[in-house]
Amino acid sequence: MTLIILGLGSSALAQTYNTFEPSKTQFMLRGYGHTGFEYLDTGGEQESTFLGATFAPIFLYKHSDKLMFEAELEFELEGNELKTGLEYADVMYVLNKHMTVRAGKFLLPFGTFMERLHPAWINRLPSRPLGFGHDGIAPASDIGVELRGAFDLGGPKLNYAVYVTNGPRIKDGSEEPEEAGMLDFGYYEDVNLAKALGGRIGLLPLSDSSMEWGISAYTTNSTGAEDSDYKDVGAFLWALDLSYVKSITPLQGVVDIKAQYNSSNVDTATYYEIEDGISEPYSFDNQSSSFYTQLSYRPIMSGSDFMKQLEFVGRYSDFNAPEGAEWEEKSTQYAFGLNYWLSWRSVVKFSYQTTKMEGGHDSDGTTRTNGLFVHWAIGF
Amino acid sequence: MASIMVACSSNKKPIATDTATEVAGSEVDFKIEKSGAQLWGEVCNRCHIAPSPADYNDTDWETISLHMRVRANLTEEEITKIESFLKSAN
Repeated sequence: MTLIILGLGSSALAQTYNTFEPSKTQFMLRGYGHTGFEYLDTGGEQESTFLGATFAPIFLYKHSDKLMFEAELEFELEGNELKTGLEYADVMYVLNKHMTVRAGKFLLPFGTFMERLHPAWINRLPSRPLGFGHDGIAPASDIGVELRGAFDLGGPKLNYAVYVTNGPRIKDGSEEPEEAGMLDFGYYEDVNLAKALGGRIGLLPLSDSSMEWGISAYTTNSTGAEDSDYKDVGAFLWALDLSYVKSITPLQGVVDIKAQYNSSNVDTATYYEIEDGISEPYSFDNQSSSFYTQLSYRPIMSGSDFMKQLEFVGRYSDFNAPEGAEWEEKSTQYAFGLNYWLSWRSVVKFSYQTTKMEGGHDSDGTTRTNGLFVHWAIGF
Repeated sequence: MASIMVACSSNKKPIATDTATEVAGSEVDFKIEKSGAQLWGEVCNRCHIAPSPADYNDTDWETISLHMRVRANLTEEEITKIESFLKSAN
């Protein structure tokens, strides 16, 4: 009897223990958040504010070794309102060792900044370079299908991505006259039958993968609604990107260089501005460009534990919007930062940024904006 | 007792440190094979500071590895070796 009880007991204990084995399907909640303080001086007009926390949960569902669903939500306080967004939500399947298919809303591999570097705990500065984000010229995400993969070339490596998406909508000026001719990459509903085609090829020529060169292209034949005058207005965008990350012993630290050039060419079209109640047609050569380069240095080989956690950052960026457009603009920005890494995914950033803007949204003259930022970001 | 021991031993997978080396080694014999630890240092740091292996368990690293393979467009060899290293060092 004792043996039977012992046997049953050990069997039950083993079953209980087995419940701790990982399930075949796995679910993870990850993400990041940040908060901070900003002081801005725009042409003598000053403002300062603590920033409401931004929270971006990432949901990962691994169905098998090949099939996964991923999604990222965004929650941000803007003034008194809670803004929500869906950064991406896509399903992916590994077709073979060199190819994965993704479908849904995904971050576009147009260069590397928006796809890989923009999250607050990764971005070395509190702000994005000019040309990215709201009113930027680089597409960030869209809805469609993508194939991507990578090859080992016996030392060097090559990666690729090609995708088809709904594409952008051109702003015709009916809602916001000062933005007529601007591509709206945040309008995800397809307004016509045409689709956008894009892709990126990345080459890592060195065996230690310290350097990556990338070239991206993105094109569509139509950006206007099917029944509008802008149906045949197409667009072609391209980008070049560079990444170099290397631990350099004489410098006792890691040097990280990033750069990206974006070019946008939209077919010329006629827009209308209302002056004194009269609609006046106008047109312009719709070409925009932006560029940024960033250098950061972390003295991880320093003898001081405090110094090891520091990072020094400098970034230059510029943005040129079309001459003759209501949103004509030439801007340059310098940003300098000092970061303190609390862990590999939590950083406190101190930075100073100065931006000189000529024009911009139908304004005349030059505006200089200086800002001081303290941000605290954490990934989880 | 025997069943308890079986349950214990089956809960933790053996560390698959050699699998990726064999796969890669059969394809490219002439190049020097890199360890998972080397690739962890080189590959992860391209975008963000390389993660601490101790921060997640084996199951989590499997999920994160598949996510990062696609997000960062890594080769199968790179992510297999990195995942093995993270699971062996956590």
